[in-house]
Amino acid sequence: MRTILVIDDERPTLQMFELYLGAYGYKTLTAASGEEGLAVFDAQTPPIVLTDIKMPGMDGLQVLEAIKARRPETEVIVITGHGDTDLALAALGLRATDFIDKPIRRETLEAALGRANGRLDMAEAAGSGGDVAAACEETVGVIHIRGSLCGESEPYLTKAFRELDDAVGVLFDFTPNASINGAGLDVLASVAETCRASGRPAAVYGLAENFVRILDRLGITDKAPRFTDRGEALAYLAKTTS
Amino acid sequence: MPFLPQRVSLKLKMFGGTMAVVLLVSAVIAILARWILVTSLNRELEQRGVAIGQSIAERASGFILDKDRPNLVSLVFDAAQLGERKVLVSYIFISDNDGRILANTFIRPFPADLRGINPLPENKDYSIDLVDFDRSQAIDIAVPVREGIYTLGAVHVGLSKSHIDSLVGKLRTTFLGFITAVTVVMFLIVLRLSNAVARPLSRLTQAADAISRGSLDAPEAMLGLSDDAIKHCQAYADTDLPCWHFDQNRGEGEPTSQAASRTCRECRFYRKEGGGDEVAQLAESFSNMIWSIRLYRRRLRESEEKYRSLFDSNPDPVFVVEAATGRILDANSQAEAVYGYGRKELVGRGLAELEPDADGGVAAYLADRDAPERVLFPKLRHVRKDGEPLYVNVHACRIAYRARDAVIVSATDITELVEKDAQLIQASKMKTLGEMSAGIAHELNQPLNAIKMGSDYLKMVAETGGLPSPVALAAVTGQVSEQVDRAAAIIGHLRDFGRKSEPKLEYVDINEPIKGVFTIIGHELALQGIEVVLRLAAVAPIKAHANRLEQVFFNLVVNARDAMTGISCPAERPRRLTIVSESRDGLVDVSVADTGCGIPEAARRKIFEPFFTTKQTGQGMGLGLAITYGIVRDYGGEIEVESAPEKGSVFRLTFPVARDRGERGP
Repeated sequence: MRTILVIDDERPTLQMFELYLGAYGYKTLTAASGEEGLAVFDAQTPPIVLTDIKMPGMDGLQVLEAIKARRPETEVIVITGHGDTDLALAALGLRATDFIDKPIRRETLEAALGRANGRLDMAEAAGSGGDVAAACEETVGVIHIRGSLCGESEPYLTKAFRELDDAVGVLFDFTPNASINGAGLDVLASVAETCRASGRPAAVYGLAENFVRILDRLGITDKAPRFTDRGEALAYLAKTTS
Repeated sequence: MPFLPQRVSLKLKMFGGTMAVVLLVSAVIAILARWILVTSLNRELEQRGVAIGQSIAERASGFILDKDRPNLVSLVFDAAQLGERKVLVSYIFISDNDGRILANTFIRPFPADLRGINPLPENKDYSIDLVDFDRSQAIDIAVPVREGIYTLGAVHVGLSKSHIDSLVGKLRTTFLGFITAVTVVMFLIVLRLSNAVARPLSRLTQAADAISRGSLDAPEAMLGLSDDAIKHCQAYADTDLPCWHFDQNRGEGEPTSQAASRTCRECRFYRKEGGGDEVAQLAESFSNMIWSIRLYRRRLRESEEKYRSLFDSNPDPVFVVEAATGRILDANSQAEAVYGYGRKELVGRGLAELEPDADGGVAAYLADRDAPERVLFPKLRHVRKDGEPLYVNVHACRIAYRARDAVIVSATDITELVEKDAQLIQASKMKTLGEMSAGIAHELNQPLNAIKMGSDYLKMVAETGGLPSPVALAAVTGQVSEQVDRAAAIIGHLRDFGRKSEPKLEYVDINEPIKGVFTIIGHELALQGIEVVLRLAAVAPIKAHANRLEQVFFNLVVNARDAMTGISCPAERPRRLTIVSESRDGLVDVSVADTGCGIPEAARRKIFEPFFTTKQTGQGMGLGLAITYGIVRDYGGEIEVESAPEKGSVFRLTFPVARDRGERGP
């Protein structure tokens, strides 16, 4: 199993993380501050980092930035205080892979770790890139998104979008371990806007529960509703166009 | 005069004394006069008798030698009947040496009683003797009849004793009559004199008694003086006008204007020259004095009524408290209304009953003889009759009241003000709680997060059908318990902070509210990179409300935070908040120092004013420091600020140490 570095200024939380992740079989490193975390990261280079945002001294975002600067492929999941959408957005802007709210719910943590592992697995297996692929299912164009939707994905997305010129609706189909970052959100928003402008409905499927708040916040769900069931999403697109 | 009883009136003394002297003098004169007059009268008559006898003896010698008895008889008859002698001379007879009667004037037989009486001694010119004859008395004067060296016989002339007695009696009657007349005249004169002195005096006495009894009406009538002058004296009728004759000591602070300094050219009332003797003058002076007393008493009463009405119409309760006993001597009607007692219930009641929190109230002032004349006790807690508390500002002032040391206590009811104050403080606390909510959420989330993770972990282990290792179980349960305590402590702290303060002050360790602030925003300060240094060395308790003090420190800490994290503050400055508490000689000092941007000189004087804020509109009401100031002053504390731009600010708070902790306990 992979090694996870947890950075949090709360000792009890660190202790619980250690037990918790240990139970999953992860090797857990802990650090009580951003500076300590970076030192541990430099020494051990863990592939997954969990970091609290609000910390005295060096805060989570600085840690995130520093880690991404050293090793961009590191999966960094930030822990935000409850409902800190702004911080979540800021973290996504700094290419955090995911974020989870405090208090940390088991499912959310599992899902986030699952996605992170999935992306790491994928990256190890296939290298990077090629995360975006277009396909047509009946009249609806489907854009499959694997791994991470980020700034670099834009040309792929645009290309895929062009391939679906004659589709009546577009479904953004995220794989379960797919992530999206700040730039990715911008791209998604602009594509959704383009769809709407051209009179074609758009929908989102499969993005983790966490991101819904962000989509809401950025108004993407207004343009492209998110569905948890793929069939419903296809039916929505078909119905709207007919 | 010790032998005269004191209560004998002056009149009697004068009268009796004078009469006694008059009578004594009269008696002496009478005795002297009688002695002199009667003696000389007797002697004169005797001499006359002797002369008659000698003249008869001279002429009788020839007739005796001739034995011519008829001539001898005619001689004695002639001598006896001559002029007035017949009244005076009772008898004349001539006897020879053998005692034979040669001639006599008796027309009846010669009384045997007269034979041999009054014998003439040898060689004496005459002899006088009182003799009784025929049931009457006579003074017998014997004169010898001589011829050459021979004695022929004796002539006896009997002077009528009754005639002499009647002469003497007449003389005595006349004299006594005169003396009596003198005495009566003296009596009348003395009576009049003594009346003239004693009657005005007794009138004065009566008048003085009447004054003593409080009756000052009509002194003229009382003293029997005419009262026409009164009608002409302005000062008499109008008590605002002083009589300038009497009232010499008026006018301290009064304008010496023309009107005030004028003097009646001729006082019609104060007329000493008006006449009469000394007693009458005394009566007039007395009358003037009564008039003057009446004037001043009236003025005094007016003054008393004026101050009484001030006392009664005072909108605040006013008490007069005896300094020695602390008992209420008098209270105004407002005191009845505010405290709910009747005046009769208030009078005699100890003031201490109205202020159960006796520390530092009027009771202490009464006991402290060195206290200043006037003092103000702010925000004292008093209790009404029905047990309701009320808050008063008390002015106490020492006075003399009916010859006793007393203290005037004026209590202004500020209950409403205190309640409004409490509401304002409460509102500001609620606002603070609102401001803290993000921090509170964060603080609460931390333990909840740990608990959640711990329980999830246990659940996960349980789901897999295994058992957690004893070490892990101990760690999780330990943490869960600890974190629940932590969350409960935060919630408890919030509840304490939000609680409305009881009106009564508590004993507070000043370090507690300081620490309390950091349980809630300590983490937030740390997140903002502010280093907090606490050096809490104060040990003495102060009397205050812990949660209001926390509000004070919260305001100061938040202000310090804003000063260090504001936009105008360069980020590279060190961010350090230092709070130092210490106790020293009856005071507890706390300083809250920051390394922020400081307060500009112009703003420093205004920072404690309400609604003054340097923050942007919508960021602050400007009430934080004003409320802070109010709270600190409420606990008898001081707050001052030192600040220099770019060097940070220091807020220094000083509180008096609670003094009576030992005896009353917390």
